[in-house]
Amino acid sequence: MRIKYNSIIVFKKIVHKLFLCCLFLILSCDEANYVLNNPFDPENMDLEAPALFFHPAEINTQLNSSISVQLYGLKLNPSAAAQLDIRYDWGSVRVDSVTAGEFFQSQNSPIQIVENEQGVLDILIYLLPDIEMDQNDGGTWSLATIHLTAISTGNSELLYGKNTKLRDAKNDSAHIKSYGIGLINVE
Amino acid sequence: MSIIRAIIIFQFINLCFASEISKSVYLNTGSKLAVLEFSGEGLSEPLRLFLTEEFRKTIRDLKVYRVQNKGISNQFSILNPNKKDYWSCLSEGCAIDLGKKLNVNYIIAGKIEQNGDDEFLINGRLFSVDLETMVNEFSINSSGASDSLLLDMKKMAYDVSGLPIPDNLSVESDTSQVAVSKKIIRKRIWPQLPPIPSKIKALMMSTALPGSGQIWAKRKFHGYTFMSIEAILGVSTLIAYYQYDIAWGGFQETYQSYQIETDPHNLLELRPQIIQYVSDTKKYNLFMKNVRNIGALIWVINMAHAYIVAPNDDFFDGDYYFDFEYKPDANKIQFNYRF
Repeated sequence: MRIKYNSIIVFKKIVHKLFLCCLFLILSCDEANYVLNNPFDPENMDLEAPALFFHPAEINTQLNSSISVQLYGLKLNPSAAAQLDIRYDWGSVRVDSVTAGEFFQSQNSPIQIVENEQGVLDILIYLLPDIEMDQNDGGTWSLATIHLTAISTGNSELLYGKNTKLRDAKNDSAHIKSYGIGLINVE
Repeated sequence: MSIIRAIIIFQFINLCFASEISKSVYLNTGSKLAVLEFSGEGLSEPLRLFLTEEFRKTIRDLKVYRVQNKGISNQFSILNPNKKDYWSCLSEGCAIDLGKKLNVNYIIAGKIEQNGDDEFLINGRLFSVDLETMVNEFSINSSGASDSLLLDMKKMAYDVSGLPIPDNLSVESDTSQVAVSKKIIRKRIWPQLPPIPSKIKALMMSTALPGSGQIWAKRKFHGYTFMSIEAILGVSTLIAYYQYDIAWGGFQETYQSYQIETDPHNLLELRPQIIQYVSDTKKYNLFMKNVRNIGALIWVINMAHAYIVAPNDDFFDGDYYFDFEYKPDANKIQFNYRF
């Protein structure tokens, strides 16, 4: 009887350790748990590509402080030039300057013409062709960056006007399906 | 006249061939002898083992039999793990069965009993495994000091070998007795593990390492098969885990970048990468789970198989922890367990 008892003890100890090893193996492999909810992700902006939007879409700032907002294109078709008709509250913010983004960048820097008239900012950007390309490949890129200064408190919107359009190298219009809205909160 | 001469020569050649054939048959009988450990009542185990070994050694020195060495005990542990029950092998059927398992021609089993303070009775039986019968039974009553036991065992070895007992045996006894004392002290140092029934031992071995129980039970093909399958599954799991680990590392890095990134262009590039990494981790995880389930199933089958194929302990008088029993009256197989 003593022999049996000892054998059972040894057997149970081994089984117990094996069980722990198996349990470790079961628990060791995690399943990926994730949520793609970054607010700057264009997929979370309810936009239908190709689209134009403001990045960031909402800016909170202080009075007299400088801010920058990018004019961003989502999955745009190949283009050679753009006219960006931007509407803003000229009583709330002041446009300081505009710089071209990567979208029209080639071996040469793009040409840009900016007209600013009482809440209407008209930006004309042209890709300067080189020996390899006369238009870009399209995609999701920044077209231009607007540098602003908040001049009064309150909320104001940034909008794309109806004259906004993109053209390819053959001067054909690239269709834009949706436009985003920008919001500036000045405190 | 020449015909008669030819017949005589032919008969003579026949006679010569006939004698050679009968000689070869005689040689095939063999002289392999196994000496089972003598059981002892009222005798310490080290002394009993020593006497058996001296008996075995004396027979071997006489060169009448080819005596299996002490290492055959390793086979005993498989065939008969409970060494204390050797004495029960004094019966003809048991001894011959064990002799067949050990692949010998002769087998000796015996016991040493203490009848009084200084009186011992040594019984031994010589069995012919080939003829399946007991060929000799010998008994010596040893009285006086315990060192005479050794002398009597040696005498018995001469008796078994069919040789006359020499007169100088008494001279050697004192020297041998000194050796006995030293061996007894040395052997007591080693801890004795409790004997485990063969089936349980095979089960435990296969539980720890798949296939090892089968290999131990001389079912090497099955053992190596189980071991190989588990090894292949293990390597597959390791490879899958390596791939999973890469995908998981990529996922964590990319997802962390996604959460802190502000540029829409970069975010749009990170998004499909994250989805791909997640898909990979799920794929490898699922593979590992399937392999784990299959491996566990094979592991359990391997354990049950080891228990089934392990040799039965003919001399183990205890109950098994569990077994399958067929009941013909109810026509069903019953699983019995005793924990």
